[in-house]
Amino acid sequence: MTSALEARGLVVVREGRRILDGASIVVKPGEAVAIQGPSGSGKSTFARALATLVEPDEGSVLLGGRQAHRIEPTSFRTRVAFLAQQPAMFGGTVRENLETGPSLHGKSLADAQARELMLAVGLDPSILPREASTLSGGEKQRVALARALANEPEILLLDEPTAALDPDAGERIVALLRDLSARGLSMVMVTHVEEHARALGGTRYRCERGRLSEDA
Amino acid sequence: MSYVDISLGRLLLSLGLIAVAVVLSRRSRLDLEVDLIWGAVRGAAQLIAIGYVLLLLFNHQRPVWVLLLLAVMVVVAAWTASRRVEHGPPILVLLPRALVAIGLGALVAVVPVFVAVVPLHPWFEARYLVPISGMMLSNAMNVVALVFERIFGSTRSEADQVEALLALGATPRQALHRQIRTALRAALLPTINGLLTVGLVALPGMMTGQIVSGTPPEQAVRYQIVILYQLVAVAAVAGLVAVAFARRLLFTARAQLVLPRK
Repeated sequence: MTSALEARGLVVVREGRRILDGASIVVKPGEAVAIQGPSGSGKSTFARALATLVEPDEGSVLLGGRQAHRIEPTSFRTRVAFLAQQPAMFGGTVRENLETGPSLHGKSLADAQARELMLAVGLDPSILPREASTLSGGEKQRVALARALANEPEILLLDEPTAALDPDAGERIVALLRDLSARGLSMVMVTHVEEHARALGGTRYRCERGRLSEDA
Repeated sequence: MSYVDISLGRLLLSLGLIAVAVVLSRRSRLDLEVDLIWGAVRGAAQLIAIGYVLLLLFNHQRPVWVLLLLAVMVVVAAWTASRRVEHGPPILVLLPRALVAIGLGALVAVVPVFVAVVPLHPWFEARYLVPISGMMLSNAMNVVALVFERIFGSTRSEADQVEALLALGATPRQALHRQIRTALRAALLPTINGLLTVGLVALPGMMTGQIVSGTPPEQAVRYQIVILYQLVAVAAVAGLVAVAFARRLLFTARAQLVLPRK
């Protein structure tokens, strides 16, 4: 079976330091993968390289068995969503934030779709007209998730989605991700919290000194 | 043409105006005295020097000398525009790009005017070509410097937003749209304000100079109108070219954001 997303021997060198040192992973369709590791182990760079936001010095990323280099970056990133640790809200309302992805590709987002996305990430659709900048950290994280889902991606990459949240909000986000995974969405979550990596309920990897190894 | 001759003694007398500013700076402890004196001396020296260069040029009018002077002016403008860009790449990276942006902007504004509006005979007549090109280059220089400064600065401070847009599948052009719009507006605003307030707040230098030296005001006004329109064109072209260069410097061919390092 073709992998959904794959990294082969990624090496990223910055200022003489090997941040990634031959990191590889295979994400099967529908699989949820948690990558756990201490800070500075290279896991965030790995997630960014998977999202093609960082150019690896060596190695390659494959989407559906096809080299990422052969896919237009705009198309790749529509199919593979990436969420930063503290996702930036764009100016405007929550609804305008949700519309960003589709509007970049000349599409619109119907009211019903916007409400559906809000429910999918556990938010009340009544906050759609609110200014996105006024939301709490947990709400922003969810809006960013809904914003990424508006592009209908095949794979979700999350860089420390719980790091900026209080423990309760963090656990709720992981539960939400597990739900999305149960509905068939492939995902890779990077975290330094072991409980969150376990709670995702899928394959677990450890990241150490720029390399990945599967957790027993 | 008749005008009041300024003797050297009376020119020195005007230094009193700088003295006023120096005294005020000292009293208010602004620490600007050295800058003021240096600025006054350097400004005067540069103007006296260009005065002699122009005199030489008028007396020995040859295309090669006129073009050489214009080339020097373009290089100095580009150097100045790329010298103090705080969050941008090193000057050696910016300089050639500033050269092209300023050169193209000035070319678009100057050539059609000297061909169709103020036809020159011969085409290299320094009396027109040098001062008017100088005004264009100076405006292009300010626009390019502002565009570089703003785009590199705002992209750095809003890198998370730019990357969030890229991650949603935006092209570099889409991801940087807001920063570019803000930078271009800021760079073009002084020129547009100039159009709106001319005659009401300020009488522009060239028009004032022509009137003082005896040109009939209605002709001086027409020259000024042409120049104002040229300034708009030069700002727009130089600004857009600078934007295109900045965008290329900020992204890889694979649409990845790379913040420049000094």
